[in-house]
Amino acid sequence: MRALPGLRGLRGLRGPPPALRLPLLLLCLLASERRSWADGNTTASPLTSLPIPEVMMTKYSNLSLKSQNISLTASPLTSLPIPEVMMTKYSNLSLKSQNISLTASPLTSLPIPEVMMTKYSNLFLESHNISLTEHSSVPVEKNITLERPSAIELTCQFTTSGDVNSINVTWKKGDEQLKNYHVNATGGILYTQYKFPIINSEQLGSYSCFFEEEKERRGTFNFGVPEVQGKNKPLITYVGDSVVLVCKCQHCAPLNWTWYSGNRSVQVPLDVHMNDKYVINGTNANETRLKIMQLSEDDKGSYWCHAMFQLGESQESVELVVISYLVPLKPFLGIVVEVILLVAIILFCEMHTQKKKMHTDDGKEFEQVEQLKSDDSNGIENNAPRHRKNEAMSQ
Amino acid sequence: MAKGTRVRSTSPPDGGWGWMIVAGCFLVTICTRAVTRCISIFFVEFQTYFTQDYAQTAWIHSIIDCVTMLCAPLGSVVSNHLSCQVGIMLGGLLASTGLILGSFATNLKHLYLTLGVLTGLGFALCYSPAIAMVGKYFSRRKALAYGIAMSGSGIGTFVLAPVVQLLIEQFSWRGALLILGGFVLNLCVCGALMRPITLKEDQTTPERNPISRTQKQDFKRVAPCSTLTKKCVQTCLCCSLQQEYSFLLMSDFVVLAISVLFMAYGCSPLFVYLVPYAVSVGVSHQQAAFLMSILGVIDIVGNITFGWLTDRRCLKNYRYVCYLFAVGLDGLCYLCLPMLQSFPLLVPFSCTFGYFDGAYVTLIPVVTAEIVGTTSLSSALGVVYFLHAVPYLVSPPIAGWLVDTTGSYTAAFLLCGFSMIFSSVLLGFARLVKKRKKTQLRFLAKESDPKLQLWTNGSVAYSVARELDHKDDQCVALTVPGYNPT
Repeated sequence: MRALPGLRGLRGLRGPPPALRLPLLLLCLLASERRSWADGNTTASPLTSLPIPEVMMTKYSNLSLKSQNISLTASPLTSLPIPEVMMTKYSNLSLKSQNISLTASPLTSLPIPEVMMTKYSNLFLESHNISLTEHSSVPVEKNITLERPSAIELTCQFTTSGDVNSINVTWKKGDEQLKNYHVNATGGILYTQYKFPIINSEQLGSYSCFFEEEKERRGTFNFGVPEVQGKNKPLITYVGDSVVLVCKCQHCAPLNWTWYSGNRSVQVPLDVHMNDKYVINGTNANETRLKIMQLSEDDKGSYWCHAMFQLGESQESVELVVISYLVPLKPFLGIVVEVILLVAIILFCEMHTQKKKMHTDDGKEFEQVEQLKSDDSNGIENNAPRHRKNEAMSQ
Repeated sequence: MAKGTRVRSTSPPDGGWGWMIVAGCFLVTICTRAVTRCISIFFVEFQTYFTQDYAQTAWIHSIIDCVTMLCAPLGSVVSNHLSCQVGIMLGGLLASTGLILGSFATNLKHLYLTLGVLTGLGFALCYSPAIAMVGKYFSRRKALAYGIAMSGSGIGTFVLAPVVQLLIEQFSWRGALLILGGFVLNLCVCGALMRPITLKEDQTTPERNPISRTQKQDFKRVAPCSTLTKKCVQTCLCCSLQQEYSFLLMSDFVVLAISVLFMAYGCSPLFVYLVPYAVSVGVSHQQAAFLMSILGVIDIVGNITFGWLTDRRCLKNYRYVCYLFAVGLDGLCYLCLPMLQSFPLLVPFSCTFGYFDGAYVTLIPVVTAEIVGTTSLSSALGVVYFLHAVPYLVSPPIAGWLVDTTGSYTAAFLLCGFSMIFSSVLLGFARLVKKRKKTQLRFLAKESDPKLQLWTNGSVAYSVARELDHKDDQCVALTVPGYNPT
């Protein structure tokens, strides 16, 4: 407000008498007010007919803009593939245009634009199919492991002898209904296809195609991160020894491996900087080895290895049991005692039988010696006649 | 001339304490052969603990096998000079020490030394003396006794494999090696069982006709070491070695040695390559493992039944022929193997091969005993098992190289098949040649020496022919008029 000369003038003078001061003040204020009205006015009025630039549109998103040039009537948005860009900015607006008209009908037969897929064209494409027949009463399941964000194409085919067009096809993720699927019938086989990208862990889960939901004709695709293998049985180690714990992933390459100790609910990360206690290395990307040295009784328990993927993580545990050297020593000493006993018994028996044999042998040898003596004498006797004969002959 | 010795000499008892010897040899075979095969169960643990690959850890098995076979002659020398009991007990202590020290290893090289060399040496000291001992105690039922004794390797592998697995799960590999060392200490018990026995044919007692006696005496006089003076002790050691290994110059034994080389070359790759071959023709892993189990079990059956069979009177004189028949059939099985490309065809192959594999393993000591006699059996067996060592080492890698270069198993199997068939044909041929020579000499000997014609009962003619057998080389030098050795 501009300074009011009237009031300054009033202050300069020794002033009017106090009874007149208040009404004079009020008069001056009224005058100044009238003067400002006459200068100009910049306050906003309701904007229903003014051309408002886009910048302002983003600020006042609850307004409706009518323009004669472009009119785009959108029917209920549940089946239109509206480009995401527009959706994020003008989520409450309705835009009417006369020049371009794009009427959208329920999208059960419209080809899904490639716009969505081209955005994610740097992804890997994974296709999976399930075949069902009208006789299959058991739901068919397929487990698929995904490591990295992929563009998924799921196809279900249904063979029937009846009328293919009468079958109601639905897709669900868990319990949630899905749209944007494509149905096609050729011959007696009904094909349905659902394409979507998986880029984060919330999009993993079970996707099912239903052919007549009441009759339980269902094919399910279960998406999950690859599983890691640890060891089912506990690892036995000794106090003062070292041990190597291995976690492997069959056909996958995780981004990162981390080790924790504790139980499933409470996990404590290992202090990898203690180089004389823990050493982590892995020869390939699909396995990790944790070497624990100078084991003690406190090191026993479960160790968890976590494999980090772009779409989530999976974990597995390895159990460690630490025992002292005395544990296997007992059976060993038992066997040694048994061996010593048996050897002693056998050698004692052998000595015993040998002594017996020697006693009987002495008796037998005496007999043998007697026999030999008699044999010798027989020999001499035999020789003697010969000599005598010769003598007789020579004589 | 009668000898007034105090040592009682007997004929082979064929029973009695002999069965305890068979039990002892059975346990020796379990503790040596079966434990060697079960060592491979530890390899996965060694690979994880020492972060080495399969090739490095597989050396342990090769070293044990190689050292056991290469040092087999050492085992027979030790048991001949000290005593069978002391030799086997020493071997048991060595092997057990090797296993116990192995349980404290911090490095794979330590395992090569303790588990490989020390344990292998211990096993070598036990194996051939124990088998020779069985031969001394049996003559009529020799093949059956050998069958039961040798079946220890099959039964032992069957029983020990799950036990070792259990030990590793309970105590980890260190504790399992320690307890296995204790188990191997039972070799000392087997050693204690091996009571020495002196057989009649070990001494020069007059049992046959005078001619053989005088000829033997002449031979003894010619031997350099006749007196036991202090000077002669050293020369006696090496001339006793000379005497012990005199069989090496026998032509029969040389032929047997060559055929054993080829046979050992042929038989080892199958146990290594049957499972990979089965998997390559489309058999599942579990079914391939089942094939190996069949092979092992039928091996045991073949050991015992073939031993019993060849003890029957009708086959007793044809043990040699049965041996070559078994080896030849195994070779034929090998030749048929590349044509068998499915599981139902591989099962009968496993049964046949396993049976005859067990069969000829039982007959090796029997045939060796027939050629060299029971005195030198221990040394001869040492040499025979020594000859197994190099082919066992060399054959699987050569077969592997053939598989890698040709891309299929056909070449490797054909080579092994021909090797075994050659081994059996060589023996058959040698036997035929010998028979022809024998009949010729007998005919000519009968004609030339009229004195012998007086003694025309079967036993004398037989004993003369046998003398001629043993002195094959000297026979040729016989100057019988009108005889031309062709």
